[in-house]
Amino acid sequence: MKDHVTRRAVPRAINWNRLQDDKDLEVWNRLTVNFWLPEKVPLSNDVQSWATLRPEERELTIRVFTGLTLLDTIQNAVGAPTLLADARTPHEEAVLSNIGFMEAVHARSYSSIFSTLCSTKEVDEAFRWSEENPHLQAKARMILDEYDAGADPQRRKIASVFLESFLFYSGFYLPMYWSSRGKLTNTADLIRLIIRDEAIHGYYIGYKFQRAMETLPEVERAALKDFAFALMFDLYEIEANYAEELYDGIGLTEEVKAFLHYNANKALQNLGFEALFPPAACEVNPAILAALSPDSENHDFFSGSGSSYVIGKAVATEDGDWDF
Amino acid sequence: MLDHGLKDRGTKDAPALDHHALNAMLNLYDDQGRIRFEADRMAARQYFLSHVNQNTVFFHSLDEKLGYLVEEGYYEAAVLDQYPRDFLHRIWNAAYARKFRFPTFLGAFKYYTSYTLKTRDGQRYLERYEDRVVMVALALARGDQAQAMAFMEEIISGRFQPATPTFLNAGKQSRGELISCFLLRVEDNMESIGRAINSSLQLSKRGGGVALMLTNIREHGAPIKGIENQSSGVIPVMKLLEDSFSYANQLGARQGAGAVYLNAHHPDILRFLDTKRENADEKIRIKTLSLGVVIPDVTFELAKRNADMYLFSPHDVERVYGVPFSEIPVSEKYDEMVGDKRIRKKKINAREFFQTLAEIQFESGYPYIMFEDTVNRANPIDGRIAMSNLCSEILQVNEASEYNEDLSYARLGTDISCNLGSLNIAATMDGPDFGATVEQAIRALTAVSEMSSIESVPSIRRGNDEAHAVGLGQMNLHGFLARERIHYGSAEGVDFTRAYFAAVAYHALRASNALARETGRSFAGFERSKYADGSFFEKYTARDWLPETDTVQALFARFGVELPTRADWAALKDAVMKDGLYNRNLQAVPPTGSISYINNSTSSIHPIVSKVEIRKEGKIGRVYYPAPFMTNDNLEYYRDAYEIGPEALIETYAAATEHVDQGLSLTLFFPAEATTRDINRAQILAWKKGIKTIYYVRLRQTALEGTEVQGCVSCTL
Repeated sequence: MKDHVTRRAVPRAINWNRLQDDKDLEVWNRLTVNFWLPEKVPLSNDVQSWATLRPEERELTIRVFTGLTLLDTIQNAVGAPTLLADARTPHEEAVLSNIGFMEAVHARSYSSIFSTLCSTKEVDEAFRWSEENPHLQAKARMILDEYDAGADPQRRKIASVFLESFLFYSGFYLPMYWSSRGKLTNTADLIRLIIRDEAIHGYYIGYKFQRAMETLPEVERAALKDFAFALMFDLYEIEANYAEELYDGIGLTEEVKAFLHYNANKALQNLGFEALFPPAACEVNPAILAALSPDSENHDFFSGSGSSYVIGKAVATEDGDWDF
Repeated sequence: MLDHGLKDRGTKDAPALDHHALNAMLNLYDDQGRIRFEADRMAARQYFLSHVNQNTVFFHSLDEKLGYLVEEGYYEAAVLDQYPRDFLHRIWNAAYARKFRFPTFLGAFKYYTSYTLKTRDGQRYLERYEDRVVMVALALARGDQAQAMAFMEEIISGRFQPATPTFLNAGKQSRGELISCFLLRVEDNMESIGRAINSSLQLSKRGGGVALMLTNIREHGAPIKGIENQSSGVIPVMKLLEDSFSYANQLGARQGAGAVYLNAHHPDILRFLDTKRENADEKIRIKTLSLGVVIPDVTFELAKRNADMYLFSPHDVERVYGVPFSEIPVSEKYDEMVGDKRIRKKKINAREFFQTLAEIQFESGYPYIMFEDTVNRANPIDGRIAMSNLCSEILQVNEASEYNEDLSYARLGTDISCNLGSLNIAATMDGPDFGATVEQAIRALTAVSEMSSIESVPSIRRGNDEAHAVGLGQMNLHGFLARERIHYGSAEGVDFTRAYFAAVAYHALRASNALARETGRSFAGFERSKYADGSFFEKYTARDWLPETDTVQALFARFGVELPTRADWAALKDAVMKDGLYNRNLQAVPPTGSISYINNSTSSIHPIVSKVEIRKEGKIGRVYYPAPFMTNDNLEYYRDAYEIGPEALIETYAAATEHVDQGLSLTLFFPAEATTRDINRAQILAWKKGIKTIYYVRLRQTALEGTEVQGCVSCTL
């Protein structure tokens, strides 16, 4: 009993007024104002638009979303909790638990889309597909292997950033494509909320990785970099196959690949590494690239809710404000 | 093996980009950091070449075309039959001779996806822009050839743009109503609530936006038939309405949309606001219904003293005063009601109320606000204004209806409808005749009122028959000012706005007075209005409303626009007192979404939201729109609403409000880093400056450094 007490470090309460890293608070604030739930988006306004998709387009869309659900499930159940163990400050732990929770919200959101737009049979079929698809399973396993207990903390971060900033995007492409064609625009709003979150997650974990790298000797840094690029090559190979299988049918594979190159570079950039793909290979269709930005979208309020509202900072007015 | 993805992509000389991709390039700077305006022009061209022209049904002659469209039941034969064949040739030739071209991709795309006549399967186009314009002119002119020609000229030149329902529907055989907007009262009984739901269904089905006033409905926990704690309050009524609007939405081509207004001193006010909370329970969450709050002056006075504000049971107020709560000027009767034991009440802190309001606005953009006393002080018409509409620019009096048990009318009251249309300020200034343009616009809007009769909602029909209320709006203020190298919100910008709106008010009244002379009738209740006794005109005969700065004086002179003087106003006053006014209401400045894109304008009199605006609508997806007249050389005049800030915007609106008999949709813009206090301060300023209503609060969140999309124009710097 006594032993137990001495072995354990002194439990400490988190003090947000003593920050070791200001970035923790900045990201925490951003994540909390960005809090949202799928119920906010009037997905049912997409029911008519859903009916205009051809059967194979519908099947593709459901499959893409089950693939995304799988990644969010991993990140919520395994990714964020594993990273938690490597946190260097209590504030980093708090940010990571927020990240983990929002991943659960994301995974939940796809089911909201399914229950609004699709039949149970279609959805069950797609989930079965996701369990059997070799490419999807391969990338999930590859990431999970790096998350395994005992793995190197920095390698875990690399895997996490690749998941957040790279692997999601073969799936995100499709709703962005539909919305640039005026289809499923409310679903796209919801996906943009997810993208808004994932962009910050990837950025933050990459930032923590870069800080950790600064403390490592040159030889370890080089090894991690080799590891990152090797993992990227492997994941890219899988993603290319995955994209071909999904998108060959509607002739979008080449465009999706350009988008993958663009995001692979962003993921590497988040880790502080140079780009892998030359600019010419990253010429994403402008309609998709422009669709990624959630800022200042001017929507028709009566048919959608947009992705720019946030939970505001409440500050009481003072006597001087009421001076009239 | 890495695949660089280069195969099958176009080379620099022949980009394999479709019109969507070309349009999206607008939002991405080129390698020299310049906005690619030419990409958007290419997109518009590409859209015509590869899509519109190939999907338009071809006719050899006008006669063949009209014959086919009437025969097949697309065009209403009665519209064309009012005119001789040779006139039809003349007006069509004149319209096509104008060589109209859409300057932006969004303008063309919006027109062809949402307005133009299509074959029944929706696959092929039957009209070009010119055809739509001529049909609207012919329908509204009702057989008067000179009038039809004049309407066509005003519309095709871009000076006058009818609102969507009119521009979309006029001249078509199967069509929705020409009117944009409806406002309904709801009283504190089941018959009235049932009737309101029925009316909402009927009006949505016909394509209008509907606003309902819930102020008179008894609160949660109020007694029913004397038994305590029985009423469920306003939330379940809102739920019923929300579902009604989404149901009607499934039947019609246009979205069903509704708003509800509640007085700030209604006991359910906090529940009402909480329906828009991010974490609201599904049972009470309101997703698509818009909310508006009616705030009297006394609420501000109480907040100033940091006092509590009392909320009054509408049920008790009605029993004590014998009239519904909405008929009571709360500011005037506040102390009396606080002291009256028969009225049950509860209290909340006034400042906390305002803070809650701002919190909800942060999360959802809602509620709209109507400053009740400001609105009623400025109202020249006899009666009280207790609500606004879906876009917060309609401000008119209404009158309660009473029902029998079978929902028939025991007493038919009046409800409000308003048909809208807007002038493009730049095109109107370009001329040739400012006064004539305003007059033609008022005549066109009056025609819509006369041609409309909403049989399904008799209180609306009666209101329209008696009032002939119209709402002439304005758009492209920022575009015009920037073209003339004047900053929005500068002293010159505000000076121009004031003089322009005073001149519009003069010509609108002059036109309505002429209509009264021609028809020999005025709106019902004219004799009890401030127009009839001349008091409305005092502020125009006591001083001039001419520009004060040299720049703006020179501007009006350069465009050859003559502004009305005190003497002109005095003459108009005499004419109005003698012959009356045909329209009870004349001006209302709507937010102008779709029509400003077609018309190549900036929205309403708002500043632009971004140099390149991202527009998303259910029907068209994401499209990018460059501000009108903007080039890479005059970007400094295109500061956006977030950069300009609320003060300059409120100044500009205050200058315009002075001369608008109804309201103006005013949106406030804040960076996401703002606090509820910033919003409250802007609301206080707006109220102090005599603003009548506030529409949305909009936020812009800048991307966290390191997560932004690179080289994106609409992303803030």
